[in-house]
Amino acid sequence: METEVLIIGGGATGTGIARDLALRGIDCILIDRKDINAGASGANHGLLHSGARYVFKDGRTAMECHRENRLLKKLAPHCIEDTGGLFVAVAQDDDNYIADFPALCSKFGIPVTALSPDEALEKEPCLATHLKAAFEVEDAVVDPFMLSLDNAADAQANGATILRNVRLAGFEIEKGRIRVARVEDVRRGKTFSIKALEFVNATGAWADQVAAMAGADITMSYSKGSLLVTQNRINDRVVNRLRQASDADILVPGGTVSIIGTTSVEIDNLDDIRPTTGEVDAIIREGADMVPGLGDARYIRAYAGVRPLVRTPGGKGRNISRNYTLKAHREDDIDNLVTITGGKLTTFRLMAEKTSDIVAGRLKNTNPCLTAQQPLPPSPKGEWTEPGKAPRVWMKNPERRDTLICECEMVSEYMVDEIVRSLKQEGALPTLEEVGRRSRIGKGPCQGTFCSFRLAAYLYRQGELFGDQGMDQVRAFVNERWKGFRPLVRDKELMRVELQEAFLCALFGMEEL
Amino acid sequence: MTATVKQDGTRVDCQVAVIGAGMAGMAAAIFAADHGLSVVQVGKASETSFSSGCLDLFSCIPGRKPDKFEDPFKGIDALISRQPDHPYARVSRDEIVQGFEMFTGFMNRAGIQYHCTSRTNQHIITPAGTLKSTWCVPSAMIAGTRALAERKQILIVDIRGLKGFGARQMAQSLRATHPCLSSVTVEFPGREKAGDLMCERLTWDLETPDVLSRFIKVLRPHTGGYDAVGLPAILGVYRFEELRDKIARALGTEVFEIPTLAPSVTGMRTKEAFLGQLSQTSVRHFPVSVASVRTDEAGGFRFDVSEGMNTLDIHAEHLVLATGRFMGRGLGVNPDGTVEERLFDLPVVQPGHRSDWFKKDFFNAEGHPINRSGINTDKVFRPLGADGNIYHPNLYAAGSILAHQDWKREKSGSGISIATAYKAVSHLAKSLETS
Repeated sequence: METEVLIIGGGATGTGIARDLALRGIDCILIDRKDINAGASGANHGLLHSGARYVFKDGRTAMECHRENRLLKKLAPHCIEDTGGLFVAVAQDDDNYIADFPALCSKFGIPVTALSPDEALEKEPCLATHLKAAFEVEDAVVDPFMLSLDNAADAQANGATILRNVRLAGFEIEKGRIRVARVEDVRRGKTFSIKALEFVNATGAWADQVAAMAGADITMSYSKGSLLVTQNRINDRVVNRLRQASDADILVPGGTVSIIGTTSVEIDNLDDIRPTTGEVDAIIREGADMVPGLGDARYIRAYAGVRPLVRTPGGKGRNISRNYTLKAHREDDIDNLVTITGGKLTTFRLMAEKTSDIVAGRLKNTNPCLTAQQPLPPSPKGEWTEPGKAPRVWMKNPERRDTLICECEMVSEYMVDEIVRSLKQEGALPTLEEVGRRSRIGKGPCQGTFCSFRLAAYLYRQGELFGDQGMDQVRAFVNERWKGFRPLVRDKELMRVELQEAFLCALFGMEEL
Repeated sequence: MTATVKQDGTRVDCQVAVIGAGMAGMAAAIFAADHGLSVVQVGKASETSFSSGCLDLFSCIPGRKPDKFEDPFKGIDALISRQPDHPYARVSRDEIVQGFEMFTGFMNRAGIQYHCTSRTNQHIITPAGTLKSTWCVPSAMIAGTRALAERKQILIVDIRGLKGFGARQMAQSLRATHPCLSSVTVEFPGREKAGDLMCERLTWDLETPDVLSRFIKVLRPHTGGYDAVGLPAILGVYRFEELRDKIARALGTEVFEIPTLAPSVTGMRTKEAFLGQLSQTSVRHFPVSVASVRTDEAGGFRFDVSEGMNTLDIHAEHLVLATGRFMGRGLGVNPDGTVEERLFDLPVVQPGHRSDWFKKDFFNAEGHPINRSGINTDKVFRPLGADGNIYHPNLYAAGSILAHQDWKREKSGSGISIATAYKAVSHLAKSLETS
């Protein structure tokens, strides 16, 4: 294959770059070794920051968040629930910190409104009763899956190619230029080459590994952040704890659930990223100080992502800048590679713009960036990831002969057909994992116990699965959900696990295969 | 001589109270009644509704490399030589066989016939497209077991709208080992416009002769040339042999059922048959749960159960604890993270810290440590107290609440329930005789 630009990594940044370049009329291919948002872009709060969180440490990031927040609300409203947000302080929080907050916000142009504790409680009855301080900010909630899928779709509509399950195996370098990337189609076990003029490394936490393949050096540290999903939605607005960043500071509502997090645990390697019981306990304990209901809430899932943080001298843990890093690799003697990593979901568009500026400049393309003006068109690809959409569609069509595959999230055969159609259009195989990522299947309280089988049975019936493929896929699907449920099992949850094991092991014997 | 439960106002007196109405509770009530004892049974049997209808005895020793056995008794011998704490180590082969005979004899009178061969496990097709190894196969499923063993031509039928039951999934998944399987999807008569179909609903539909004959008409074009036809388990809660025979005669093939996901008709059938037959005995059955039990002045047990508007005060000389594990609420977790037994606060074999309860791989072949926690007992299944001596001379425990077993991986659920209940009740009856 041959193209002008090869983008490696299909997270928010990579898909954003693909769209940005495509809109400038630049031909590009995006590859991801797994799928859109399989990394940190799919394992975060889904918070569209107002910027207020960064006023203490990183004014530039704060201002960028503020600008991008307003821009995205205007250009991609279908991906955003404009909830607004609160910053609140409880009894044990630092008075000086609280006192500095409004002034710092106005210094960086972040709008805040002070509220009395009573006003805050009236807006958000879930809050602790003895608040020390409360402020209203412009936080919102963004669906990261829909955002990236829509960016990818618009990139494709403008000529870009998106290849999922394609892994970078290495570069062929000649005289300081990458000539060809050797890649492997993971599903089909096929190796092939992609020739390009420019290469973009947008692989997040894996950026150092990809740079190393080109002989370039980036020192990164990995910070694991774990989050918990509640069974019911607890809050209307985003709620932030007004203190120095710590565990369980942010409670973000989303559809029918709320998400509380995060932790920050330095890790050495990127294999086997999973939340632990210790993190779960810490999040619940700390979260309950701010929102007491979190103490005895029912949780349906824990998950963890890795923040890709580029080391600067003296930085450690939460003190490493949350700003993005953009490297043109001139000092590494590689002329046609750009690495973009770090940063926030909120500023993904800006990161894509800055990266694309360098790439376009090198290609002598003078077309301007259009992503700050052109609205992001909604695509059918991301439509079933939206919590609450499937039930709405289902309820509107009571007469339709349509069977619910996932009863928790009300995903029906009709919706699965749509997703399968769209996956096949992209040349992807409609596996349980892929359909799961494009929908809410398995994300409700049963966490895949029943729906994984129903989905497999349906895909077999439709002729999409053959032989014993389904069994392996159900096992993988169940284990992926288990990863997020295992650290949550405390008491009541044991009943569900026992039931699941009774079916999958005692009846089906799936552990014997 | 049969003793009877005595009631005086709200006070009820019995020789044995069985707490729990799952497999172990059912077995204990049947055995105690058979000994002629006066029995009160209390429990909701909610787990029984998930049952496949088969009775497992034993087929696998879990481990890094699981050891599978076609002969369950050989397997049990190997198991107890490696795991001397296992509940099976406290029962003899004769006791297992006698327990199964008594249990299946009772169920047979209730209308459910089981088939077993004396030395080997048999196989049934599961909705996942796997073969499940089990000991006793109910007659509704036996034709499938035999057709599989004899490599006959089998057609599996599923119904559009009945989810989690995929005929093509089963045929495809087993294709490599059983190329004799084929599949077809049909519409259920009268439900062609419905989105979601439930097994229970279809079961009631088939009780109507008209629906049954239309269903046969729907099946007929597909079944020619097949020796056996497998259907989801929807052939009636009470008259399934009759329905199956009608369909089989009309199609000219063998017909068998395949168990479905919860809530299953096979489970309902087991529960209904048990309760129906139990009403022919002197056992008083209360479909409620018990919040707490205390010991009474006479050295027995006392607890309250509600019946309609009344609260009855039950006095029992002996008690069989068959409350199950977490699903049955026999076990729970304290706020400090330790596993507790809910009715007597009996000492529980602990599974370690919460972070070690479960393996990372849900399907880990060794099994999850928490599955082996439970109650320690003496040789006749009397729970041990904190001091290592029996907690109470008249208290027994049976079934999945017992420690040192992993029934889901061993495929020993019914076997442990029946065998331990048999042994416990036999000892209890003997001690009543001698006193």
